[in-house]
Amino acid sequence: MAVGFEPRVVGFLCNWCSYAGADMAGTSRMSYPPNIRIIRVPCSGRVDPLFVVKAFQMGADGVLIAGCHPGDCHYTEGNYHMRRRFALLQPFLDYVGIEKERFRLEWVSASEGKRFTQVVTSFTEQLRQLGPRKDRELMAAKGVQRAV
Amino acid sequence: MQDKIRAKARELLETGTVDCVIGYERATDGLTARPVFIYGTAGVDRLVFDQTCVHNLSKFLLDRRDKRTAIVAKPCDSRAINLLINEGQLARDKVYIIGVVCQGMPEVSWNRVSKEPQERCQRCPQRVPVVYDYLVGEPVEALPVTFSDVEQMENAGPAERRGFWLEQFGRCIRCHACRQACPGCYCSECFVDQLDPTWVGIRKDVTDNEMWNTIRAFHLAGRCISCNECERVCPVSIPLSLLNRKLEKDVGEFFDFQAGIKAETVPPFATFKKDEHLKGVE
Amino acid sequence: MSQVIAREDLSRWLNSLMEERTVVVPVVVGDMVFFRPVAKAEDMTISRGNATLGPKGCLFPLSHTMFTVEQEDGDVRVIPSSLEREMVVFGLRPCDAQGLAVFDLPMLAEPADQYYRERREKTALVGLACAEACAECFCTSTGGGPHDARYMDVMLSEVPQGYLVQAVTEKGKKLLAKAPLKDMAVQAPTPPDVPRVPTDGIVAAMRRTFADKYWSRLADRCIHCNICSYVCPTCYCFDIRDYQQDGKTHRVRSWESCQAPGFTKIAGGHDPRADKGSRMRQRFAHKLLYFPEEFNNVLGCTGCGRCVRYCPVNIDIREIISDVQKIGGG
Repeated sequence: MAVGFEPRVVGFLCNWCSYAGADMAGTSRMSYPPNIRIIRVPCSGRVDPLFVVKAFQMGADGVLIAGCHPGDCHYTEGNYHMRRRFALLQPFLDYVGIEKERFRLEWVSASEGKRFTQVVTSFTEQLRQLGPRKDRELMAAKGVQRAV
Repeated sequence: MQDKIRAKARELLETGTVDCVIGYERATDGLTARPVFIYGTAGVDRLVFDQTCVHNLSKFLLDRRDKRTAIVAKPCDSRAINLLINEGQLARDKVYIIGVVCQGMPEVSWNRVSKEPQERCQRCPQRVPVVYDYLVGEPVEALPVTFSDVEQMENAGPAERRGFWLEQFGRCIRCHACRQACPGCYCSECFVDQLDPTWVGIRKDVTDNEMWNTIRAFHLAGRCISCNECERVCPVSIPLSLLNRKLEKDVGEFFDFQAGIKAETVPPFATFKKDEHLKGVE
Repeated sequence: MSQVIAREDLSRWLNSLMEERTVVVPVVVGDMVFFRPVAKAEDMTISRGNATLGPKGCLFPLSHTMFTVEQEDGDVRVIPSSLEREMVVFGLRPCDAQGLAVFDLPMLAEPADQYYRERREKTALVGLACAEACAECFCTSTGGGPHDARYMDVMLSEVPQGYLVQAVTEKGKKLLAKAPLKDMAVQAPTPPDVPRVPTDGIVAAMRRTFADKYWSRLADRCIHCNICSYVCPTCYCFDIRDYQQDGKTHRVRSWESCQAPGFTKIAGGHDPRADKGSRMRQRFAHKLLYFPEEFNNVLGCTGCGRCVRYCPVNIDIREIISDVQKIGGG
């Protein structure tokens, strides 16, 4: 574990459930690690795999997608589609070397402020243990250069 | 086989069943094959069929959507045709498929034909086209399905995998030949060409290259029919099949689905089951 | 009397150049050969043929940051890129060097491309004559030859004793100043025979074939994969985009290809080369008509044969030249 390493987490939160849940955590003055940068989306089903890969490309140490519990989606079925997408994307990113521990899908409802803080805390801690991404070192070892 | 293809092509053009036959002819190296478009019976004798006919011709059908066309299709090519019909890109009644039984093709490039069959051919699950109007060749048994190449990568450590893929993506020159050769890549505006917002851009940098290759593979999840054209055309030999087949394996395992087997089917990303429990979720 | 460098001494000489310069050499990667900068010359491989991708990327990089814009306390700074060290490209073939000479015509004509010019001035070319022709090359039909030293600074030819060394320019002479050369009576090797392609009068024939249906038919099988443009030693199309990274803006120039669908799309949505035939014709008209018309009959093709080798559907410029001569020839 790198000393003083603070993971940078990007969170895609659906407007109706998980963003509201995060908001509730805030208004209830519950604290959670400030490592997460939240991006509000209308539905977890809006999250395109492109967003996730882009976040990792721009240096995120972890990406969290949070949506309504299955059955409670504000748009009825968005989270079911997200579930399938995630099931394939997580092992695929792991396969290209972005460890599966860096990518999470969680269901957080609007009233689950406490659960939201638990999710962010445990995710951040897990990433802290995992350490920073090793891309720079691996590229140097393989002689891969960035574009001039 | 060649004679039967020529005879059928002649018949289709003479009777006006089709306006064009897309097949293979001899390339300028005198050894390998290249795609050919035959518009009249005079050109029929240019058609050949042999072990160098590796190209997937099905994508050319998209240039002729409203015209009647015949096409020479190996089993992999026929899966692509089914995919395009399923996705509403082709009308079945506009395409006459001359299906060819295939025992596997060698590695073919300019002036070079390998002795061994291609790796992908050594594990191809279909030896007979899955759809055809006319069959050339005697049916042979299929081979057992294996994903040993993917499993080997899965079993490597994360740092080893990461280093491997960074090296591969570092070599990518973003020519997009993989996309151009792929029958599943037909979007009128590809995500890589989007300017507002610019997701990937055109910079040939390992991080952008990674985005390009992984998202393209993901856009083919549940759609890739493993014709391997992407890997064949890549000028810098990136092992793209290793990427696409990972998704093919997982789609098969999680959703019991294979692309291109049927022309009428619901692909896995177009549907869901309310009660499904998928690995990694919850 | 000629000057010869022994095989063992070649690496030593290149390593000595690395003290002050970046040395780019052919490197084997799998079954491909690329020109890459190395830390020691022993990492290079001299193989037959020209490399998978030529050295044009040394003077005209695949992606190149032209300048970086930084902002600090409202103060905006523009930092142009510059090549820090001089460069030596070793092991390129005459077709690739001729390609750079072709590049010079549009790139150095006033107003010159400053990025290309800087790299050109700071780069020395040490070439390797071809001992054999490939099945697909045809340099003698495009104004060059397998032993053509005209566009090199130093030219090496393989002989039993090592390499015959010829200093072609002043820059080359300086480069060889400390090279371990030996004086020997050595016979210059005979250039190999290179297959011929009927390029005489091709410019006029192309002009006469311009409106022919030939280009549409040819384009039927083209998949617009862009590979021909990327492997070509004389293709120089590019696009420029801005990228945000680490709080700075980078303006980056990257290779593009006129074969890509949408390459000529302009604001408003009009695309003058929307159909495949126009794009196909553009490639060959550029090489064999527009370029020689603009630049004093210099052909835009140096006969390196790479497009023939790598085109996935066998669009063969030699066949096209032949066909055009038949259709539009005098």
